[in-house]
Amino acid sequence: MKLAFIAPRFPEAGVVGGAETLIRNLADYLGGQGNEVHFLTTCARDHHTWKNEIPPGEKTDGHLTVHFFPVNEDRDVSVFLRLQEQVSSGKDVSRSDQERWMRESVNSRALEAWLEAEGASFDAIIAGPYLYGITYHALRVHPDRSWLLPCLHDEAFAYQSVIKDLFHQVKGVLFNSEPEQALAERLYDLPHQKGAIVGMGLEPIKADAEAFAARHGITQPYVLYAGRREPLKGTPLLLDYVNTFRLNTQRDIKLVLTGSGDIDIPRELEGHVIDVGFVSEQEKHEAMAGARVFIHPSVNESFGIVLLESWLAGTPALVHAKSEVLKFQCKQSGGGLWFRYYPEFEAMLLALLDRKDLHGQLASAGNAYVRTNFTWSSVAARFLAAVGT
Amino acid sequence: MESSNEFQVGAPGMDAEKIVTEIRAEVARKREEGVYHDARIARAERHNLIHMQDNAELLRFYLATLRDIVTVDISDWSIRDRRGGVAGKVLVKFKTVIWKFLKFYTYRLWSQQNLVNGLMHSAVEGAFTNYERRIAELEARIVALEGGKDGPDPENETVDPVT
Repeated sequence: MKLAFIAPRFPEAGVVGGAETLIRNLADYLGGQGNEVHFLTTCARDHHTWKNEIPPGEKTDGHLTVHFFPVNEDRDVSVFLRLQEQVSSGKDVSRSDQERWMRESVNSRALEAWLEAEGASFDAIIAGPYLYGITYHALRVHPDRSWLLPCLHDEAFAYQSVIKDLFHQVKGVLFNSEPEQALAERLYDLPHQKGAIVGMGLEPIKADAEAFAARHGITQPYVLYAGRREPLKGTPLLLDYVNTFRLNTQRDIKLVLTGSGDIDIPRELEGHVIDVGFVSEQEKHEAMAGARVFIHPSVNESFGIVLLESWLAGTPALVHAKSEVLKFQCKQSGGGLWFRYYPEFEAMLLALLDRKDLHGQLASAGNAYVRTNFTWSSVAARFLAAVGT
Repeated sequence: MESSNEFQVGAPGMDAEKIVTEIRAEVARKREEGVYHDARIARAERHNLIHMQDNAELLRFYLATLRDIVTVDISDWSIRDRRGGVAGKVLVKFKTVIWKFLKFYTYRLWSQQNLVNGLMHSAVEGAFTNYERRIAELEARIVALEGGKDGPDPENETVDPVT
């Protein structure tokens, strides 16, 4: 098959984004299976400035032919930010303003022109995540052979009519989980048969459970969060909860954070948060393997990659019950528990720290779930069944 | 679109939902005993409040814990200084005088704020209780009007829903 994958940025060292990583990994695996796979992206590295930093052109990376196209530099950022603010605050935004919002978002005329010229030669064009102008416009060039990989969240952006239309215009939608598909069906009256669940494959993890603690001089048990640190991901809540847990229970546990973003550590928690920032995949896996519990406080996830990784590393999880996707994954796998408020967080964390049998059973169940459902071969089979040629 | 959405669930015999339900029951029991009525917990929930809005049980708990932090503490406390000797004693005296001045000039502000906080909290709690009662009455009337064929949606029930 000849496939084109489109994402706003190409994930490489220093450029992180769960959705983009997922798209790249899927594309790379399919490229390794004898498919001709092209990855279309922008020359930008920074998702705040969208400055063209990478020279336009082609390069080969793994099993991919990567095409870099410049972001339109004449976009009106102030109009985009004004409209984005209106959309995100849930205000009624007219259809013409929604279209303007998409036009002033991150776009590349060069990429669209390339697709117009070359797109008909592809068996399938897959783009995501849903809320970028580049995805919206690229999928409308050849909608009859285009699939949306939305990474959809229940957020204000998802409620716009332009987004609803996009879901209906494309040939099909590739979801990461059942709750994500259910959300799209609820928001857009999307026929069930138009979607398929694909997800992402994960390689087995080999990590020394003692290595991370030894490297960082950690002698007490620790819990871990890995990912971007920002209010939308729930990290301020996690810091407050761990602080209260330490004070209430007098348990000397540490909180390890990996990933990027600023954090505001409560005064009483200073010295008990080990913030290692952005680390290699191997070090992240070692941190996961050594953690007593992996905690994911985000309520806005379409696919919990780090959750699945923590299960592969043999660590059970504790997630926020408001995240339909993470709760679903914990429930389906039996690999984690879910809290609604602090008292449940405290009781569940105590149970995971104190009850070795429970800890072991949850870890084993989570591990078995990932090894059964998220091998690359099973993901590729679901992808090919969905795209269906 | 042809698709293959078959997922296999985790280890046999591992029912995470059952464990969550058991822990929630234990938490509910301890909550009734007042174990979690703590100002620290009310503060810890500041980032979680938005996620509690659609759950009457959690909101009720939050309002109860809020009662513990609604009042600004204006009591005197023991003023100390980590330095000993003459310097330490002088500093303690100095801090005590500063505190007395501070308290004298801000006392009316604090007491007014405490009054407002207390009244606001009582008003919110009263309105919440009132709405809860009225919703329960309306739900009962709907059930009666529909001939009792359907009860209220258990997911939105006001008493101990498992979400």
